[in-house]
Amino acid sequence: MFKHESIETNSAMLIVLTMVAISIGGLVEIVPLHYLNGTVEDVKDPATGLDVIHPYSPLEQRGRDIYIREGCYTCHSQMIRPFRDEDLRYGHYSLAAESKYDHPFQWGSKRTGPDLARVGGKYSNEWQVAHLTAPRSVVPESIMPNYPWLKETKLDYSDVQDRMIALKRVGVPYSQTKVEYDANVKRFGEETAKTLDINTAENTLLAQAQAGNYDGNASGVSEMDALVAYLQVLGTMVDFSKFDEDHFIQFR
Amino acid sequence: MLTDFWTWIMDLGNSKTVALLIFFTTFIGIVLYVYSSRKRSERLESYRYMPLMDEDDADRKVKAAEASQAKGEK
Amino acid sequence: MAHSAALSSEQYNYDIVKKFAITSIFWGILGMIAGVYIASELAWPFLNLDIAQITFGRLRPLHTSGVIFGFGGNALFATSYYIVQRTCQTRLAGGTFWPTFTFWGWNLSVLIAGLLYLFGYTQGREYAEPVWFVDIAITVVWVVYFLIYTVTLVKRNQPHIYVANWFFMSFILATALLHIFNNLAVPVSLTSATSYSLFSGAQDAMTQWWYGHNAVGFFLTAAFLGMMYYFVPKQAGRPVYSYRLSIIHFWALSFMYMWVGTHHLHWTAIPDWTSTLAATFSILLLMPSWGGMINGIMTLSGAWDKLRTDPIMMFMITALSFYGMSTFEGPMMSLKSVNALSHYTDWTVGHVHSGALGWVAMISIASFYHMIPRLWNTTLYSLQLVYTHFFLATIGTVLYITALWVSGIGQGLMLRAFDEYGNLAYTFVETVAFMHGPLVARVVAGLFFLSGMLVMAYNIYMTIARAKQEEGVSAVAAAKA
Repeated sequence: MFKHESIETNSAMLIVLTMVAISIGGLVEIVPLHYLNGTVEDVKDPATGLDVIHPYSPLEQRGRDIYIREGCYTCHSQMIRPFRDEDLRYGHYSLAAESKYDHPFQWGSKRTGPDLARVGGKYSNEWQVAHLTAPRSVVPESIMPNYPWLKETKLDYSDVQDRMIALKRVGVPYSQTKVEYDANVKRFGEETAKTLDINTAENTLLAQAQAGNYDGNASGVSEMDALVAYLQVLGTMVDFSKFDEDHFIQFR
Repeated sequence: MLTDFWTWIMDLGNSKTVALLIFFTTFIGIVLYVYSSRKRSERLESYRYMPLMDEDDADRKVKAAEASQAKGEK
Repeated sequence: MAHSAALSSEQYNYDIVKKFAITSIFWGILGMIAGVYIASELAWPFLNLDIAQITFGRLRPLHTSGVIFGFGGNALFATSYYIVQRTCQTRLAGGTFWPTFTFWGWNLSVLIAGLLYLFGYTQGREYAEPVWFVDIAITVVWVVYFLIYTVTLVKRNQPHIYVANWFFMSFILATALLHIFNNLAVPVSLTSATSYSLFSGAQDAMTQWWYGHNAVGFFLTAAFLGMMYYFVPKQAGRPVYSYRLSIIHFWALSFMYMWVGTHHLHWTAIPDWTSTLAATFSILLLMPSWGGMINGIMTLSGAWDKLRTDPIMMFMITALSFYGMSTFEGPMMSLKSVNALSHYTDWTVGHVHSGALGWVAMISIASFYHMIPRLWNTTLYSLQLVYTHFFLATIGTVLYITALWVSGIGQGLMLRAFDEYGNLAYTFVETVAFMHGPLVARVVAGLFFLSGMLVMAYNIYMTIARAKQEEGVSAVAAAKA
């Protein structure tokens, strides 16, 4: 006959049974998500058949690193919920696929400031720079800190290749070999595939900063260039006008 | 029949029901075990006194001081 | 009971408990100062002072890590080492070296992680911000902690393992599991503090909130229940209300907590079934939580007068009441319809603090007031100051929760309001302006709680100073004789 005393008087028994009790929940909920096909939807351009969601360019990824460094996630979410008010305020609800290259995810848990999942293209670069440097100069009631050093600090892109290699190890399809590059051309189109090539990462980064001139200062690449480049790409990869209105409901 | 049952269990959409069933039977089992027999209950309750068995001088000293302070305030 | 006559301070390793207890109070004050400061930054943003290191985004993780891992972590090490020795009636395993190793290992890890946040080195995962090499250090410390604890249990002089130790054990095991899986990452290079998490997007979110909620469930609840199961009976001088209830409490809590993390991700891009499952278990969790609360409070049955005369008991019962309140509020907020309003707002922050200040901090404070005089073989410097602390802490907590109910529910309602034409009634920044008042009240509430902690620090300092004096006197007397 089983007795609870046999657990209470035996440390090994206590440890093993406790371990069993605490393991089941995580196993049942998390493990299936890695195998279920429906967890992350495949979003392909209806016309070309290319994957519309692609990894960040080197400059955008560096901008994302700065976003994490400054702890933006403590006040801003990147996850729009399927409610009417959020649709009007922020846009189409977020798809799981839209953050599938986000290591780590930055969905956030608190909106002290507004959601940023679709902030890309909503404001001009000039506005973003002015707002990040001194938020209250453009939004008087804002309680966001000033980030004046972003404009003045040169972006350190010396380890951008190492960073992309680390990201590749965790599953982001940046390319190092010709075979991988060709696969990316097929999957994302040539233009995008070029930005995902680790070998030319520094040049790609400089070219994007030059062409975009995000911080309004053409000389050199600042951290502001990177961060604004990242903000401007957020939520812009899926063009919802190309899909039926209820196309994405099947994945919920 | 058995295969139907198996496919139903393996369907992850049903995991909520399966989990609830497993959890609930275990829970009821534990409650029954713990409360069903009077003899067992008495035995289990006898372990309550464990933390009170190691009282030493330091304990008595603190208790006496707290008791006298509490009286003094009334 | 051959041991009852001997003085515990000679029989047990009290040095390590003293170290952890004092450090815990130190971290508590530091973490709460950081908390009051970031709360002030939200009320008066000029306080960010354009200094990168103290902007809200970098200082906030220092506050959370400081109070959870600094204050809470050290309090747990202190009380678990104290309780395991006294309920097993045996000296702590690992000699003096290994317990001391856990002390320095843990505190240096928290300190280094905290300083690195200020300079922008973070993993960007809430409550798991420490960079990868600190995570490895923490893992090593934790394994040593587990071994010390287990070996002490094995060599016990008591036939039974007391229920407080079960809770501590499940806390140690669960924390190991959560910490290791949530921090899986690939560093950029061996000399870089940056790493990228192994998982991404939806899977990463699930892993992180499985961790995030169970940090609450096991680090901040199960372990503090361990404290409750020992210190409440000790302080009341009566055994726990029902041993059978504690068996049910333990197994149900250990099993169910791990299911509920996903309620932090309602309405997001994860499959609906995980979300529903989590909500269901969150509601079920109310049963063991309240079972535990009743078990704690009813321990006092027959000695209710202690509530009038014993401020330490007042702390304990208030802590249990806040535990009951936040374990009711939590399941309610995990209902999808309520969550639609409460998520992303200050309501969540208020809920966390009703648990963190009301339950975790208060039960730790009570445990310290009980434990510290015994550790130094003396009596508390002033019971009156414990009363003062109690009122400061309670007023602070109640004001804090109320302020954030106003700001959270208010903002939630404003954000979903429409005018008669079906347009949004308020812009986002209008809700920010609305929150200014409650946010100022929250700063005041934080100041109340912090000043209570300072009163405690003074009281404890005087208690120890007097103990040292007494010890000196008795040593002189012994020398003369």
